[in-house]
Amino acid sequence: MKQKGLGFYLRIYGKILAQDLKSKMSYRADFIISTIGMIFTNIAGFVSFWILFRNFPSINGWSYYEMLFLYGFSLVSLTPVQCFFDNNWSLRMYVYSGDFIKYCFRPINLFFYYQSEVFDIKGLGQLSFGIGTLIYSWSKIGLGFTPLILMKMIVFLLTASLIMIALQNASAATCFWIQNSFYVLDLVLKFKDYARYPITIFSPVFRFIFTFIMPIAFIAYYPSLVILRPDEVPLLSWLSPLIGCLFFWISYKFWMYGAMKYSGTGS
Amino acid sequence: MKLKKYISLTRAGIMESLHFRLGTVVMVIGNLLYLIVVYFLWKAIYASAGTDVVNGMTFTDTLIYLVLATALFGFMEMYTVWEIGRNIQSGKIVLDLLKPMEYRRYLFWSYSGSFVTQFFFTFLPTFIIVGIVTHGAIPLGTNLLFFVISVIMAVSINYSIDFFVGTICLFTESIWGINIMKQVIVLLLSGATIPIAFFPETLKTIVYYLPFQSIYNAPLTLLLDGNPKNETVLTILSTQLIWCIVMMILSKLFWKVSLRQITVNGG
Repeated sequence: MKQKGLGFYLRIYGKILAQDLKSKMSYRADFIISTIGMIFTNIAGFVSFWILFRNFPSINGWSYYEMLFLYGFSLVSLTPVQCFFDNNWSLRMYVYSGDFIKYCFRPINLFFYYQSEVFDIKGLGQLSFGIGTLIYSWSKIGLGFTPLILMKMIVFLLTASLIMIALQNASAATCFWIQNSFYVLDLVLKFKDYARYPITIFSPVFRFIFTFIMPIAFIAYYPSLVILRPDEVPLLSWLSPLIGCLFFWISYKFWMYGAMKYSGTGS
Repeated sequence: MKLKKYISLTRAGIMESLHFRLGTVVMVIGNLLYLIVVYFLWKAIYASAGTDVVNGMTFTDTLIYLVLATALFGFMEMYTVWEIGRNIQSGKIVLDLLKPMEYRRYLFWSYSGSFVTQFFFTFLPTFIIVGIVTHGAIPLGTNLLFFVISVIMAVSINYSIDFFVGTICLFTESIWGINIMKQVIVLLLSGATIPIAFFPETLKTIVYYLPFQSIYNAPLTLLLDGNPKNETVLTILSTQLIWCIVMMILSKLFWKVSLRQITVNGG
């Protein structure tokens, strides 16, 4: 088969996206309520920070605004996985019912086609809340603003996104082997709540686990250090874009390996 | 005779929940992770505070409170909103409504089986481990009796709230959004994420007038108090009882009124 170019895929994505949005708009009430629910969740996270820091001025040398920065950073970096890869949640249903086979017969990349089918709009509510939190904490800490820092910000936000996407892809793909991958996905979803705390609060053993075995620390902590504490950036932070790409590639291969192994249900 | 039908529903529930063993294992891992994060987070918080007692709670108190709140959540969460919502969307609700048992009661008893399994596999082990880890910081006396009574009422209040929220799904077609809003509000305002003792004064007053604190805060306060004063116990339990009755009546009424609205797809 001839290799298709990036332009071709972008054009296809636009078309599929338009179809998906049209079908979503027929459930307008659901869309509005889901968006409000998403914003509710974010506000609750914000409120619990506020309550905590009313009692304690700082945690482990991290001030209120620095923690808010981490929180905002994690919210923004989680937006791509929410918006573009939400179909992973349905994968187990498609595999179980046998409907997954329909994706295997298209002359385009299987992974691309599957993920492009759903665009989750409620992620945009989270994005705006996250950006708001980032700007607020940014101005309170007084980090300054240069084009270079903005570029760093974008690169490292993308890095963090890649890691979360990779984690979700891999956990969704487990359904090719086990019947119900919901629990695995749900577990990984919880990671994002833990990502908002600085890794330094843990003991060395768990610091190691959360860095190398369950890479929670890469979702917000290591990438945001580059912006937040530019004087003491550990090597792992600089390496994180590389690690992000590597993780994404591995998860993609794993996902495709499972999909290729898939033999349908016979119906 | 009457009891027999309830017990058979409970038995079916036990068998159903034992079927998903892998799910249970992953869920236990998830809970363990959460406990680790909570432990280190609050340890860091208390280390930064400089004092042993904050808002009348020591580190051990806070830890027991939060850990058992999680255990109680696992025990009480029945996914009622999802169940009702899905039954409405699929049309299965028509069959359930035809059963010779009130729907509200049927749903509760078909879940009661997972109460039993959750109690023995999650709550009891957590309780014992917490007791050992904190070197018997949980007082063992009459407070245990009050705790049990309180938990029973908490289960009832929680179920009424869930059923009330689930009824809203009859009107909205949205499950995810409605459920996430409920969960966020209940978890934050019941003290399950941060003990209510840490809330600012005004918020504390408001929260005490709402039903949510009766779900987690009330039983846990009773449990942690080694020498309870009769007055406090009586106030807490009677507040719970009032909410128990009020929420039950409200959810029943709302269901009755809404049932006239029901439209079932292709039922």
